[in-house]
Amino acid sequence: MSRLTVVRRPPELDLVDLATKAAAPLTLEALRGQFGSAEEFSAAFGRARSAGWVRVEGGPPPIVRVVDSAGPRTLSSLLVSISAGTTKEALPTDQSKLVADLLKRGVLSKAEARTTSVAITEAGKEAATFSADVNLIDKLTPEVIAARTWRGRQMRPIDVEAKAPRFAPGRRHPVRDFIREVRETYISMGFTEVQGRSVHPGFWNFDALFIPQDHPSREMQDTFYLEGLSDKKLTRTGVVANVAATHESGWKTGSKGWGYHWSIDEARRLVLRTHNTVLTVRALSESKEKETRVFAVSKVYRNENLDYKHLAEFYQMDGIMVGEGLNVRHLMGFLTEFYKKLGMSEVKLWPTYFPYTEPSLEVVGFSKAVNAWIELSGSGVFRPEVTLPLGVRVPVLAWGPGIERLMLMRYGLDDMRALYGDDLTWLRERRELAGS
Amino acid sequence: MPVVRIDISRFSKMVGANKKKLIDRLPYIGLDIEGIEKDSVRVEYSPNRPDFGTDFGIARAMKGLLGKDAGLPRFATSPSRISISYDRRLSSVRPFIACATATGLDLDDEDIRQVISLQEDLHNGLGRRRKVVAIGLHDMDAIKPPLSYTAVASSFKFVPLGGNRELSIRSILDGSDEGRAYGGALAGSKLFPVITDSRGTVLSFPPIINGDVTKVTSKTKNVFIDVTSTDQKAGDDVLAVLATTLAEAGGKLGTVSIAYPNPRVTPDLEPRKIPLDASLVRSVLGMNLSQAEIVKSLARSRIGVQGKYALGPRYRIDLLHPVDLAEEVGLGYGMDRIGPIYPPSKRPGSFDRFEDFLDSASTVMAGSGMIEMMTFELTDEKCLYSNFGRPSSEKVAVHNPKSLEHSVLRDALIPTLMASLSKNVKSDYPQRIFEIGRVYSKARGEVSESWHLACLVAHSQSSFTEAKMFLESVCRIMAGKEASATAGQHWAFSPGRCAVAKVAKSELGHVGEVRPEVIDAFGLGVPVSGFEFDLTRLYELLK
Repeated sequence: MSRLTVVRRPPELDLVDLATKAAAPLTLEALRGQFGSAEEFSAAFGRARSAGWVRVEGGPPPIVRVVDSAGPRTLSSLLVSISAGTTKEALPTDQSKLVADLLKRGVLSKAEARTTSVAITEAGKEAATFSADVNLIDKLTPEVIAARTWRGRQMRPIDVEAKAPRFAPGRRHPVRDFIREVRETYISMGFTEVQGRSVHPGFWNFDALFIPQDHPSREMQDTFYLEGLSDKKLTRTGVVANVAATHESGWKTGSKGWGYHWSIDEARRLVLRTHNTVLTVRALSESKEKETRVFAVSKVYRNENLDYKHLAEFYQMDGIMVGEGLNVRHLMGFLTEFYKKLGMSEVKLWPTYFPYTEPSLEVVGFSKAVNAWIELSGSGVFRPEVTLPLGVRVPVLAWGPGIERLMLMRYGLDDMRALYGDDLTWLRERRELAGS
Repeated sequence: MPVVRIDISRFSKMVGANKKKLIDRLPYIGLDIEGIEKDSVRVEYSPNRPDFGTDFGIARAMKGLLGKDAGLPRFATSPSRISISYDRRLSSVRPFIACATATGLDLDDEDIRQVISLQEDLHNGLGRRRKVVAIGLHDMDAIKPPLSYTAVASSFKFVPLGGNRELSIRSILDGSDEGRAYGGALAGSKLFPVITDSRGTVLSFPPIINGDVTKVTSKTKNVFIDVTSTDQKAGDDVLAVLATTLAEAGGKLGTVSIAYPNPRVTPDLEPRKIPLDASLVRSVLGMNLSQAEIVKSLARSRIGVQGKYALGPRYRIDLLHPVDLAEEVGLGYGMDRIGPIYPPSKRPGSFDRFEDFLDSASTVMAGSGMIEMMTFELTDEKCLYSNFGRPSSEKVAVHNPKSLEHSVLRDALIPTLMASLSKNVKSDYPQRIFEIGRVYSKARGEVSESWHLACLVAHSQSSFTEAKMFLESVCRIMAGKEASATAGQHWAFSPGRCAVAKVAKSELGHVGEVRPEVIDAFGLGVPVSGFEFDLTRLYELLK
């Protein structure tokens, strides 16, 4: 059964009313003045004229004359009858076209009504008498508790199997939780956490790590340089001079160097860090400690188009270990243990290349999901060309793993964008501690 | 990183080992397996090892590792009787040239494909897209020596490779794909380098294109190589890699007399001497290897030993320092035979206090019923500025971003949180979200960074009071102090519905109802209120 409601009075009825009730025939202009807006008037006038209720005569100025009063009356009485509760089905069939038109215009609205009869069953009758039992408590209230009227009574049983309303608790981001886990893992292995800025002069991001100034990774298509900004305070003195000389000819490091003319301007350009080793190296260069373990979990930035395995900003968890007698076997030992703690029990170390480490090792872990070895981290022993210019004379082990791949494995996802896709439903409903 | 395709049956024959063994060992010479197909393997190699640019070079290393052909490879050369004169005007255009010949070659299609792929990789890597180094390979039998490396004007004409008529240097630079791609190396020059033979035939117009007359075909048996560069060392390195690869492919190498900078003969394929410091090797690897084990391991990495020196083959351009020999010993010995040792820590670790502060802010906010978001720090101007109707004059932009969606560093968290709300209009309301993130601002040519906390509350009843309630509770819990509010203004919030939040009289941020224009610009249909404040400042305040 369709119940109709009059939402608003059609403006053409107002127009006919005004024109009919006027003492003398109204001019078009005068009639327009009676309406709130020009749009409202032209809608009303357009409808009244096309329905053949009014006509414009004579002029100038033209006057509006009502030529059909039966039409408006039919419409009025229809609206009155609907307001009185007549359903769509109960209206005369010859008016159905008019009703459809009024529904379309929004003059009327329609609600489907359904009548359902409910009868109390025997069980219901019994429950009704049961609940009336004064020995049962419907709801425990402060009054009941204070007056201790619960004594000797029981709670009325309710349907405990019915669904409760759905609730979405507040939650930390899964990446933050994972970072917390990584930080705790590092701390448990004796590491000190450092943090720092995202923006650094190219000197600390590249030159200090013996990355030559024309190295492809320094080009704009890979690295974000800040537009029109450079660190003018950086001068070729102290550590900077040592690093520059090392690039050019090896300085006192025993290296041949890269053999090119080093430029301070290139070193001054501000970049969004491309790895977090920039943070651990700066910490090392400031502290010059002979024995220390330092880590940073923070964002790095690369000029990338986003796809399932590339993001323009993502997290890395870089660390360094400094100490007399440390060697590549300790690097292997640390990384194996570190990944075991993070849930990757099967890792291998393959030789690879980075400009700043020698030897360089790549950590790969076996992923059951893709049935293959996947890259987890670069690592290595810092070259003398990196450590000596900073004044560090003991071995430094370094590594720079990403966190996203481990997280994807944990959550069974295959697209890095999903981690940062701000999908509220996933963030609300994802399983806590998935995969761990 | 560059990729080489290895045909398994061809490679097995070269090395004398089966597929399984090869695939198992490839990573242990530093190659990344990119993909395995039925008949082939694709491997990625690092640009410091351009000698891995063909299966010839990889086979050479693999034979060493497997002990099938260990020790320093030697490359014999004999004079080719070709000489090349030098036009000194080129010293400011493209100063260096080095050449070699390889004769008696019998290359099949796969050989040619490998060599061309190497040439491309050298152009892109060491050659820096031909800007620093460019290579020309020519049919030696089409050349009549002596040759000249000479400077010509832009009107000079010749038939370029693949062409059927003469074109001027200018029209090649402006009108051909190669000219447009590589012409930058000659930008601003009025003189252009060409290599010609005694009849005036043009071999090459480096670094753009070769001449057509000397083009290499499958019938070519004798090859002439020219390498021009702006850096003599880089040019000589490239020639060494290419010449030794052609020698592996069966060519006999010939030398060429070069007139500049001093009269010299190229290629110079003499091994490079590096001091062998056995104690350094032992301490880096943590292995107490005997001298004999070190020598044997180096041999498996194709490195010779002579007295106190190691001899690195000329194509190994990556041996800069005695420490590089440690890795070579490790590789030859087998990295998987070097056992890990876990170094226990002598000191306890410690969290960074500020990172802990940020982490606990997240716990407090989540406890208030909010969902934590992590949006990107790099966003676009529309999200950050135009949707709020504010000027972008102080924006911190990155140079040449690949995507405009990640082109400006945010100075506040509310914009990217608004974008998050607009991506989640189909999710259930009420939506209460927050973010703890880094923001950037620029003043007097310097960029400063700080950490903010922002929250947005979106639902039909969202109000200033609700936002203020959350702000006050998080301040109370994080700071142990009550926050105060005075009427204020902020670009995200409606005038009259915005307050400045202060703790201990220090201004920390703003709270308010988001302006309807902004809600509309982000395509949202419900009222949004929220706050944003400076966590770095709050932390400093508490110290």
